[in-house]
Amino acid sequence: MQLTYLEAIRQGIWEEMEHDPTVFCLGEDIGIYGGAFKVTDGFIDRFGPERVIDTPIAESAIVGAAFGASLTGMRPVAEFQFMDFIGCAFNQISNMVAKTHYLWGAPAPLVLRGPSGGYVHGGPFHSQNPEMWFVHNPGLKVICPATPYDAKGLIKAAIRDNNPCIFFEHKYLYRRIKEEVPTDDYVVPIGKARIAREGKDLSIITYAAMVHTALEAADILAKEGIDLEIVDLRTVSPLDREAIAQTVKKTNKVIILHEHSRTGGLAGEIAAIINEEAFDDLDGPIVRIAGLDSAIPFSPPQEHHYLPKVEDVVRESRRLKAY
Amino acid sequence: MGKNKKNSKAASNGHHPHNGSRNNSAVLKKAANGNGRLATAVPGRQIEQSSTGSPNRNLRTYEIPDHRLEYPTFTVRQQTEKDKQGHEHVRYEVTGDLDAPVPPIRDSKYLNKQQAIEIYRYMLLNRKMEIALENLYKQGKVVGGVYFGLGQEACSCASSYALDKDDWFAPMIRNQGSLLVRGFRAADTMMQYMAKADSPTKGRDGTSHFGDIEKRNMVSPISMLGDLIPVMSGVALGARLQGRSIAVMTYIGDGGQSTGVTYEGINFAAVQNLGLVLFVESNLWAYSTPSEMQYRCKDLAERAIGYGIPGVIVDGTDACQVYDAAHEAVERAHGGEGPTLIEAKMMRMKGHAIHDAAGYVPKSMFDFWKKRDPLARFENYVVKDKKWLTPKENAALIAEVEEVIEAEREIAVNSPMPTPESAEGGVYCDEGCHDIKPKYGVPKVKKGTASYKETEAAVHLK
Repeated sequence: MQLTYLEAIRQGIWEEMEHDPTVFCLGEDIGIYGGAFKVTDGFIDRFGPERVIDTPIAESAIVGAAFGASLTGMRPVAEFQFMDFIGCAFNQISNMVAKTHYLWGAPAPLVLRGPSGGYVHGGPFHSQNPEMWFVHNPGLKVICPATPYDAKGLIKAAIRDNNPCIFFEHKYLYRRIKEEVPTDDYVVPIGKARIAREGKDLSIITYAAMVHTALEAADILAKEGIDLEIVDLRTVSPLDREAIAQTVKKTNKVIILHEHSRTGGLAGEIAAIINEEAFDDLDGPIVRIAGLDSAIPFSPPQEHHYLPKVEDVVRESRRLKAY
Repeated sequence: MGKNKKNSKAASNGHHPHNGSRNNSAVLKKAANGNGRLATAVPGRQIEQSSTGSPNRNLRTYEIPDHRLEYPTFTVRQQTEKDKQGHEHVRYEVTGDLDAPVPPIRDSKYLNKQQAIEIYRYMLLNRKMEIALENLYKQGKVVGGVYFGLGQEACSCASSYALDKDDWFAPMIRNQGSLLVRGFRAADTMMQYMAKADSPTKGRDGTSHFGDIEKRNMVSPISMLGDLIPVMSGVALGARLQGRSIAVMTYIGDGGQSTGVTYEGINFAAVQNLGLVLFVESNLWAYSTPSEMQYRCKDLAERAIGYGIPGVIVDGTDACQVYDAAHEAVERAHGGEGPTLIEAKMMRMKGHAIHDAAGYVPKSMFDFWKKRDPLARFENYVVKDKKWLTPKENAALIAEVEEVIEAEREIAVNSPMPTPESAEGGVYCDEGCHDIKPKYGVPKVKKGTASYKETEAAVHLK
């Protein structure tokens, strides 16, 4: 079945609600309206208002209520209208939810999900990639799929997981990519990267929308005889250290590509992992391509300038290949 | 802020009731729009006559039942004083009637002799446990500080005593008595303070920061205030999806209620009509800040009006009043009638924690509230007023409680410190450590006839 990225997530949650009566959804405008991006469109008619709950505009209450319900053995799926608003619930996530299992041994099987990412001119409060705020919080799983297949398999895995999972859906990908997705039940394991493109000359380690940017660059570079390997992390916490080390050992040159700001970004962490796991295999400097160290601006020319582009990947790949 | 008097920053919010609010009827008067119906998944707004007999239709009045038998009236404000050298210092000054006689305990509408004695025993345990903790601190056995509920034992013990076995609770730092009522041992709390290997968190956190979702239905508090309120609402939501109307009780202070998440949590419970019992302990001081600098309304119970839920005021040093209000709120929760806000008034009788001598509190306030010590008042009630215990039986009970605390202290002291390596592991629930099941049974779900089909959601832009 050909599914868009958005439809794959919708189908994944739908299927979990069909087979598990402990799964329910809560969030702003998710009921009759079906969610700002229509991820829960039609859910209220099928599953009823008891399991598809429209909440007040109160992100801390949404996360708190989801967490409380999870303590009674429910599996709530809470929507953030935009992941930018997850900051409103930061204390609840960081100090309450993430620390629970470590401190007092209670599992919190909940999913916090919503759209993130740029390239849609959403401006500084509707385009952010706030995943790093949570990568630095032990106890959370942070998931960022790049394809419809992975989006469906990972949302189902997140709902079934016994830990709090934060699921970042890239809004640029929602309706722009479509692929064949199996109709039978499957999950994609959390914490496992995949090779999005096999190559031998240098590796791009990335995730979410940037996987597609890297793939486009790879097509251009292939014509010049530069063969890129692209690693799609799929989960940014916990990181697949083995997959990171593996690709560096294979190509010996690596570019880390992400959309969020450079300083304190995921590339720094991955560079440190490479340093620990595969330092002797490096034949060149670790290169970072990332968003600027500023808020993400609104106006299209400014947003374009802020965000990583195919030409950035092409340019840096040529430079690194020649090193 | 008020009159903007020189050197006077805090405005009075008084501690006395409004005119006409001395309603002590057994049934909580519903605030305007109070939802008296059973829980439904999509609570609609029921418009009720909110006017209580006012001849002017444009003038709405609301009732806050106030069960107290006295209405202390005093105000704390910042005042500049000169010392002997002529240097100016800003201090808190209290004005008002601080010589009022202590009122009697109000007879409970629900408690029988046995229950009253049991609450009295828990209050004794609470007090004696904290004395033991203070001694352990002085002996250098405690890691960090100790927090006390001195003056708030009636609040902790009589409120949680109103809960049923299947109900949930989440204490704040001063509700160590609630833990005892709900079946934790004094040694549990003591070991937490001493960071011992056998503490409920195995050394990973201290104080009352622990929980138990299996037997005692307790959610662990965190240090940030107000976050438990939406969490407890979520517990009630989870139970309701499993077909049960339970009560979920948590606490907040006059300081903690200033946080934004407090509003979010109560409002969520109100909109969803969940069985939240929010016990607001107005203990007059949030660390060193008086309640006059936390809020402007007269009584925090008035906040309930804004949430569209019932609010009630009790004397927090009167265990009978506390129990009755908690009992009625719990009954409402069990009946699916939604949340209740109980405001209890008393004073925190020590500093914020053991390091804090509370020198900022005017001494006359300590004197006033010392005469209203909840344990002494209840002891007097049980022994002298009601004669439910003879002085001899009372002495025997106190001795028994002291023995229990001494035995618990022994257990706690003898627990080893955790190994350094025990800091590792347990971050995730990944190794079959928990088999997660709905606590009250698998939800019975009804499904609509609509089957899965692609909708507008499936539109592809390329």
